[in-house]
Amino acid sequence: MIRQLSVFVENTTGSIYQVTSALNEAGINIRAISSFDTPDFGILRLVVDDTARAKEYLTSRGFVVRIHEVIGVELEDRPGSLNALLHTMAENEISINYIYSFIIRNGKAPVMVFSTDGYEKALEALKKESIHIISDDEL
Amino acid sequence: MEWKEQIRDPQMECASRDEMMTLQGEKLVKLVNRVYGAVPFYTQKMKEMGVEPGDIRGIEDITKLPFTTKEDLRDNYPFGLVAVPQEQIARVQGSSGTTGKLTLAAYTKHDVELWGECAARCLAMAGLTAADRIHVCYGYGLFTGGMGLDLGAQALGAMAIPMSAGNTQRQMMCMEDFQATAFACTPSYALYLAESLAEAGVVDRLKLKAGIHGAEPWTEEMRHKIEDILHINCFDIYGLCEVLGPGVAQDCIHHKGLHVHHDHFYPEVLNPADQSPCAEGETGELVFTTLSKEGMPLIRYRTKDLTSITYGTCDCGRTSPRISKFTGRTDDMKVIRGVNVFPTQVETALLKMGGDVAPHYLMIVDRENNMDTLTVMVEVDERFFSDEIRQLDSLRAKIGAVLKQALGVSCIVKLVEPKTIERSEGKAKRVIDRRNLV
Repeated sequence: MIRQLSVFVENTTGSIYQVTSALNEAGINIRAISSFDTPDFGILRLVVDDTARAKEYLTSRGFVVRIHEVIGVELEDRPGSLNALLHTMAENEISINYIYSFIIRNGKAPVMVFSTDGYEKALEALKKESIHIISDDEL
Repeated sequence: MEWKEQIRDPQMECASRDEMMTLQGEKLVKLVNRVYGAVPFYTQKMKEMGVEPGDIRGIEDITKLPFTTKEDLRDNYPFGLVAVPQEQIARVQGSSGTTGKLTLAAYTKHDVELWGECAARCLAMAGLTAADRIHVCYGYGLFTGGMGLDLGAQALGAMAIPMSAGNTQRQMMCMEDFQATAFACTPSYALYLAESLAEAGVVDRLKLKAGIHGAEPWTEEMRHKIEDILHINCFDIYGLCEVLGPGVAQDCIHHKGLHVHHDHFYPEVLNPADQSPCAEGETGELVFTTLSKEGMPLIRYRTKDLTSITYGTCDCGRTSPRISKFTGRTDDMKVIRGVNVFPTQVETALLKMGGDVAPHYLMIVDRENNMDTLTVMVEVDERFFSDEIRQLDSLRAKIGAVLKQALGVSCIVKLVEPKTIERSEGKAKRVIDRRNLV
């Protein structure tokens, strides 16, 4: 389980930069970033090294921030491994709200992050397939 | 909280209508004689209308007198309407001119005392006494807010805490440390401050029992919201610097309209289109004649504020006429695709959505391809921010539907970051009209 920050941003020039600037001021390290946009606004999703402190600082700077629990799994760096993960989810009828990836440094494997409403069910299905689920402290 | 009604000047505030009309008539006759000759503007206007001071024998003759408009004040800026020798002017105050120049008002020593007395009546109406501590976070300066409440506290014998506006952290600290029992500021800042106090978890440590808020229109829903957060009673104080400043009128604990201090200000409500008198309860433009002011008395001053008037004795015992909570200003009202729309309607609608949305909004009126467009920017806050676009989209659609229902015109809703909309340490700007209409 990974605690992810979701930040509301307007769809304007420099809005992502404002968030990263604030995190930089607070000395927060960003592990992963992904954005979703509509014509007017977007949601910036971040995995950072100190989620609670990042939220506190961003909130104090006037950002709207929420912490969401998402699932992170480690994948082998070879063709077909993402497909196999998605196959497991589809087979178990677990819908994915969104998904993005990042790579942990020091030669470790890529990580897929996804959000689902079927949280428990997803964990169970992944465990059954022996897919490695990442926790915050492994990042 | 136990309520004890206090009436500072029962003889005036509870006078019978006949007694009051006699007094108002006497004062009006004196006023007309005072300005005729002393103020060239009024002399000329009355001559143009063929009215002489002798034609004014009682309050019912007021309709024979000319109006004064904001434009007249601007044309006679700064001291053209002063009715006394310059050395008798003891102070000036000004109001934020939205179109450049200030509107300036001049007061004699007597006028300053009158102001304090009127504001003190309002504070008493809010249940306050000499024992109270009044935290004033209206701005001090040319703006009348800070000075008016300060003079009121002084006249009441209460303790004034002259905080002025801004620096919310410091406001919160002093409010707690000095054990303020009441605070005064604009309603939008009151809500912002209340939310900040609640967020900091200090509400239980405060001694507040009353809030005095004015200088911008606000709704019953907004009053309830502030009252619920802080566990206090809030009151709507009214005034404008041309007429006096805060203290011209205020609502009592029954909140059935704002009591006008009728021995000093004569209110009329007139149809904005042709200035014919409105019936009791009918909405129109509020027009004031200052009956007691010396420095810059005004005859039939058109306030541009829209309200209705109610006579008859209030449950509190006062007989003074009550003006309803303001629905807006004649110049705030926007005609959008033929429908009259007021910013307060948006506020009411958003507050009625309960905790779903914050009542921080900005209306932008524009015109595209000869069609009026209304965009309402609503701030997102943590309580209803969702991680998922579809939920934010459905919220936006819901706000759009609620607003369409309330306003009678459809609008585009834009969700924006908090603090995008100018924060209200003074008056909140609620509407921008970008249409270039001549």
